[in-house]
Amino acid sequence: MKVLAAGVVPLLLVLHWKHGAGSPLPITPVNATCVTRHPCHNNLMNQIRNQLAQLNSSANALFILYYTAQGEPFPNNLDKLCGPNVTDFPPFHANGTEKARLVELYRIIAYLGASLGNITRDQKILNPNALSLHSKLNATTDTMRGLLSNVLCRLCSKYHVAHVEVAYGPDTSGKDVFQKKKLGCQLLGKYKQVIAVVAQAF
Amino acid sequence: MDIFLYLRRLSWMVDSKRMKTTSNFRWLLSTFVLLYLMNQVNSQKKGAPHNLKCVTNNLQVWDCSWKLSGASRGVHEVCIENRSNSCYLLGKTNNKIPTLAPGDYEITVKPLHDFRGSISKFILNEKNVSFIPDTPEILNLSADFPTSTLHLKWNDKGSVFPHHSNVIWEIKILRKENVEVVKLVTYNTTLNGKDTVHHWSWTSDMPLECATHSVGIRCYIDDPHFSGRKEWSDWSPLKNISRSSDSQSKVFPQDKVIPVGSDITFCCVTQEKVISAQIGYTKCPLIHLDGESVAIKIYNISASENSGTNVVFTTKENIFGTVIFVGYPPDIPQKLNCETHDLKEIICTWDPGRPTALVGPRNTSYTLFESFSGKYVRFKRVEAPTNESYQLFFQMLPNQEIYNFTLNARNPLGHSESTILVNTTEKVYPHTPTSIRVKDVNSTAVILSWHLPGSFAKIKLLCEIEINKASSAQELRNVTIKGVENSSYLVAVDKLNPYTMYTFRIRCSSETFWKWSKWSNEKQYLTTEATPSKGPDTWREWSSDGKNLIIYWKPLPVNEANGKILFYNVSCSSDEKTQSLSEIPDPQHKAEIQLDKNDYIISVVAKNSVGSSPPSKIASMEIPNDDLKIEQAVGMGNGILLSWNYDPNMTCDYVIKWCNSSQSEPCLMDWKKVPSNSTETIIESDQFRPGVRYNFFLYGCRNKGYQLLRSVIGYIEELAPIVAPNFTVEDTSADSILVKWEDIPVEELRGFLRGYLFYFEKGERDTSKMKGLESSRSDVKVKNITDISQKTLRIADLQGKTSYHLVLRAYTDGGMGPEKSMFVVTKENSVGLIIAILIPVAVAVLVGVVTSILCYRKREWIKETFYPDIPNPENCKALQFQKSVCEGNSALKTLEMNPCTPNNVEVLETRTTVPKIEDTEIISPVAEHPEEISDAEPENHVVVSYCPPVVEEEIPNPGVDEAGGTSQVIYIDVQSMYQPQAKPEEEQETDPVGGAGYKPQMHLPVTSSLEDPAAEDDLDTTAGYRPQANVNTWNLVSPDSPRSTDSNSEVVSFGSPCSINSRQFLIPPKDEDSPKSNGGGWSFTNFFQNKPND
Repeated sequence: MKVLAAGVVPLLLVLHWKHGAGSPLPITPVNATCVTRHPCHNNLMNQIRNQLAQLNSSANALFILYYTAQGEPFPNNLDKLCGPNVTDFPPFHANGTEKARLVELYRIIAYLGASLGNITRDQKILNPNALSLHSKLNATTDTMRGLLSNVLCRLCSKYHVAHVEVAYGPDTSGKDVFQKKKLGCQLLGKYKQVIAVVAQAF
Repeated sequence: MDIFLYLRRLSWMVDSKRMKTTSNFRWLLSTFVLLYLMNQVNSQKKGAPHNLKCVTNNLQVWDCSWKLSGASRGVHEVCIENRSNSCYLLGKTNNKIPTLAPGDYEITVKPLHDFRGSISKFILNEKNVSFIPDTPEILNLSADFPTSTLHLKWNDKGSVFPHHSNVIWEIKILRKENVEVVKLVTYNTTLNGKDTVHHWSWTSDMPLECATHSVGIRCYIDDPHFSGRKEWSDWSPLKNISRSSDSQSKVFPQDKVIPVGSDITFCCVTQEKVISAQIGYTKCPLIHLDGESVAIKIYNISASENSGTNVVFTTKENIFGTVIFVGYPPDIPQKLNCETHDLKEIICTWDPGRPTALVGPRNTSYTLFESFSGKYVRFKRVEAPTNESYQLFFQMLPNQEIYNFTLNARNPLGHSESTILVNTTEKVYPHTPTSIRVKDVNSTAVILSWHLPGSFAKIKLLCEIEINKASSAQELRNVTIKGVENSSYLVAVDKLNPYTMYTFRIRCSSETFWKWSKWSNEKQYLTTEATPSKGPDTWREWSSDGKNLIIYWKPLPVNEANGKILFYNVSCSSDEKTQSLSEIPDPQHKAEIQLDKNDYIISVVAKNSVGSSPPSKIASMEIPNDDLKIEQAVGMGNGILLSWNYDPNMTCDYVIKWCNSSQSEPCLMDWKKVPSNSTETIIESDQFRPGVRYNFFLYGCRNKGYQLLRSVIGYIEELAPIVAPNFTVEDTSADSILVKWEDIPVEELRGFLRGYLFYFEKGERDTSKMKGLESSRSDVKVKNITDISQKTLRIADLQGKTSYHLVLRAYTDGGMGPEKSMFVVTKENSVGLIIAILIPVAVAVLVGVVTSILCYRKREWIKETFYPDIPNPENCKALQFQKSVCEGNSALKTLEMNPCTPNNVEVLETRTTVPKIEDTEIISPVAEHPEEISDAEPENHVVVSYCPPVVEEEIPNPGVDEAGGTSQVIYIDVQSMYQPQAKPEEEQETDPVGGAGYKPQMHLPVTSSLEDPAAEDDLDTTAGYRPQANVNTWNLVSPDSPRSTDSNSEVVSFGSPCSINSRQFLIPPKDEDSPKSNGGGWSFTNFFQNKPND
């Protein structure tokens, strides 16, 4: 699997700026030390919940904006063109421990962040005049970036987890335009579906 | 062979003549068949070679072959004559022989070892040889899938051909498993003696990925030196092109950019069954290709949205698609313009023209290329371009003034360009001047400086200075300045006014004008002060007591004050003395000086911070004018025109002063001075108001003083009065009213009074007629009083004791004023009333007297007629009534009538009354129709009885006594006395019952009871004798009531029932509440009553 779209690399470098950045991140051994650059906020879980709620509330609007901007027949064939058929999407178990849920959340957000970076890049080329879509994509990406930082902070501060092995979605840069549209729509459909479950779990 | 040639020739002849006749053709055909059979017989001798055929594929060697009959297979000797006995030992049946020169050759073929075989001879000519080129070989077949183009490469092998020849290549392209030829094309080349590789390309209308494409080629060489038959080569083996095997379903073409209006084919290469296909909203019919692959064809495709046009193929489980971008090639850049702001950088702008409908990486890219220098710049697109952003900056090169720019526009669908040649010194559009500064030179000149960035050292600048001052037209001044390098520029601006607020702004261009720069920001500046240029406009008035002289002056206008006026100095000088008032502060424009009656010259000087104005002088003396009249004038809305005759005595000027007429003396609102040669002027002032009376005074100026020439009262505009004249009624008589009114005050008149309008009509207060009195109404009388000195009006010819509605209103040329109304009742006419009373009384007396005289003279006749002697009923014994029968018993019983002879006797005795009795019977309605009544009521027999009167002796009745005895019964036909004057007979006919009075001995009108049996119960109340039993049956009708005479009621009984022993009418007592007595009142008042509106 090809990893790292151009828009995702700076994000990951910022979040994981230390030795070994850019390589798959294994979960830190339990006895390893974990130090955050800045002290975590006291009410971190509340912030995470709020960020999840914010993402959840805007996910459907983003989805609609996206498939509308792709033109016909996307709005009328959502089941086949935008169905949440993302095979390698990280799993999430709502009944797991908080640590397990946070680790899974971290993987999901990392996956989504990378995919949203791809979508944003593709749409700026394909739909340069769809400014509202760009704005919504950027806002979602920004929120995810903050959520990822908070989750990592929580994992590090409470569970001493500094590294989580993550996976990313397929790079769409080499695909044809229709595949870009379709994959983006499927990803956003999946995102809308998953974020509702995740927000409910926290 | 010769036979063959012969046949061929014959055949050619046949061909040439084929069209002649069909009969000839049949004959020739049969001849041909016969000859052919003979030849076969001759040539097929046992073992002899026959059917010699020669072909060539390189024009160097002929490959000949013949056929052998039987089993002779061995080596043959072939000899060719005319070639120095060239014989070849050739095996089998086909052999190569070198090319023969044109001409006929005899070929002898004989078997070398078979002696039984016979020798065959052939005539061989090049014309009998077929030229069939070798099958071409495709060197390479490649495909460019993005462009759907096939590239074919092959070798013509021209080295083997001795001559230059034209070659026709035929190429075929097959699709759908080689069953459908989609293209068959010819391609011409020339053989030049060398092996040459040829290329040919073909672009498919269907993406090459959609199906396997196969290509084959053959050729035809047209050698001009070869006279034999030339034939096409065989087709080369097919070569195939197909996309790399990929199990994934895909749609082609992908991400293609095509122009609007194109036709394009999309295909879906898949293993699944495609259900439908659509482009955007539109479904398309499927074209089946190899396997499950399908295609759709789109014609005249339209422009795409930003994200492209989606083309999708739907299967049961999935949707496969592609995106096509449909747009336009770039339009030629329009309005390309290049100019410079600062001679450092050239800015080129353009309009992209028609939108291409392509965005992102497919959008149009622009390159600005300068041909002299070979440099170029590329256009960097912003994310959301607008027309204004299409511009490029090109850095100017040292020592280069002329630039030749070419703007190239390019997108995937094509390119276009636009060029412009620019001389930069002529295309200067300077930046906006900044940093405007102003510096004093003196009160009328300043230095203006500004900053203008740019390298203008080589050119001159033309700058325009806009000078604005309050309440004045703007002034533009152009100045030419030599340009400098990034510096400030300054220019002197003169001819300004002192102490004036100016607003400056500047714009510049090059001297060879191209464009003005934008205007700089405005800069305000107040020039310095100078001495006032004139003295103030002065006037003087004597106070009301004549002791003080009040001196007025007007503030100097700004352009004359030349600064802020600080104070005024006033001096009054005569031959004897001088009085001064110094430093009167500016807001005060009036001074009062006590002077004697000497002639003084008043001088007023205004001073500002720089100096004093020239003195303004005026004489105090007033020259009397005895011949002065007051005139009237009306203005024109905004002013009033005053004119006068030219007077050469007026040596200085005229002064018109005016004031509000309601102000007390000395009043002065303003004044105006006009030159002495003027004869008219228009007085205008913002203080003038319409409807206000002003006094205007025209003074003429002589050497010694001013003389009042005219006094005018006037209005700028007349308005209607705002009040009505206050009027009263001075006197009222039976036929006239005298009205008197008062003047309207001048302030409320609001114009010159032109008259009054007086309306009057009959009318009372609080009636419906109390509406406005319009003169158009016919019942309204109007009097227009144009004599404004008249203050009274007598209205004559009125009716007495009548209410009149009076209205008075004043009017001016400005309109009608409001109205004031009053109601007046005229007095009653007493003489008429007296006459109206006296005449009827006199007539009544006269009638009475005449009647009395006539009655006196005819008293005997009257007595005989109306009061004949009646026989005494006591003489008749038959009339002995039982008292109990008639007294108080309502149940009447039939009186059995005994013969009453004395009555008859009595009647016979008085013979003179017989006719009267007969008359009575004749006029009786009962007597007129005795049979009708008996027929109608045969069984209702009423016996009229005679009831002797019961004499009440206690009630004296003088009338009875006069009639001649208490026992007399007198029947009086009352109806006859009060019959109406008109139609007496008709009354009797139509109402026989009602027309009768008391008729006790007559048949009662009971016919109505027969018609209405229900009324039988009332019979006793409506018929028969009802002596005072029921008072309600009395018809209480006044004798003078018209209803009493016209009534048709059945129960009409005039007056009261008659008492048995009474001859008097029993007039019912007058009932005030009786409704029938209300309407018949009659009086003299009614007779003389004047109805309203009579």
